[in-house]
Amino acid sequence: MNNAKMWLVVKPTVGVPLFLGAVAVGSFAVHVAVLTNTTWVADFLSGSSASDDSAALATDPSILPASGTAAAELPMYIEAGADGSQSMRVILPDGRTATLVVDDLTQAALLQ
Amino acid sequence: MSDDPDKVWPTGLTLKEAEEVHSYLIDGTRVFGAIALLAHVLVAVSTPWLG
Repeated sequence: MNNAKMWLVVKPTVGVPLFLGAVAVGSFAVHVAVLTNTTWVADFLSGSSASDDSAALATDPSILPASGTAAAELPMYIEAGADGSQSMRVILPDGRTATLVVDDLTQAALLQ
Repeated sequence: MSDDPDKVWPTGLTLKEAEEVHSYLIDGTRVFGAIALLAHVLVAVSTPWLG
């Protein structure tokens, strides 16, 4: 506790508020820096969930990107359309089905 | 104000008083640190901060 001698030089009525004020300013600056350099703090403050992307995928089936890492992880079971037309039935792992319409051989759009 | 030989200037505190003030400041800093540690753990768990 050799630092205690500072109070022989700095009056506590001056030093203590200065010390606490510096900690407060520093803490405020860190919060501002995190707020401006992340998205999830602003999302939290505005009430939307922290991980928007995966949440949307879980709840909104029509936003299942044909080519996206999320789609890659989701095993799909595709069977040709009954009438052999250019559409295919996609059976998602949780049982819901979707119609995959192939406009042309190069592009696939998933319709609900 | 009797002239106490233990008083040290410029603040006029005695070493004992200075150590007392300092101990309160140290304890307060430890409490602040504990609360901050808990806050950081909660943030790490519940936000995408650390992935």
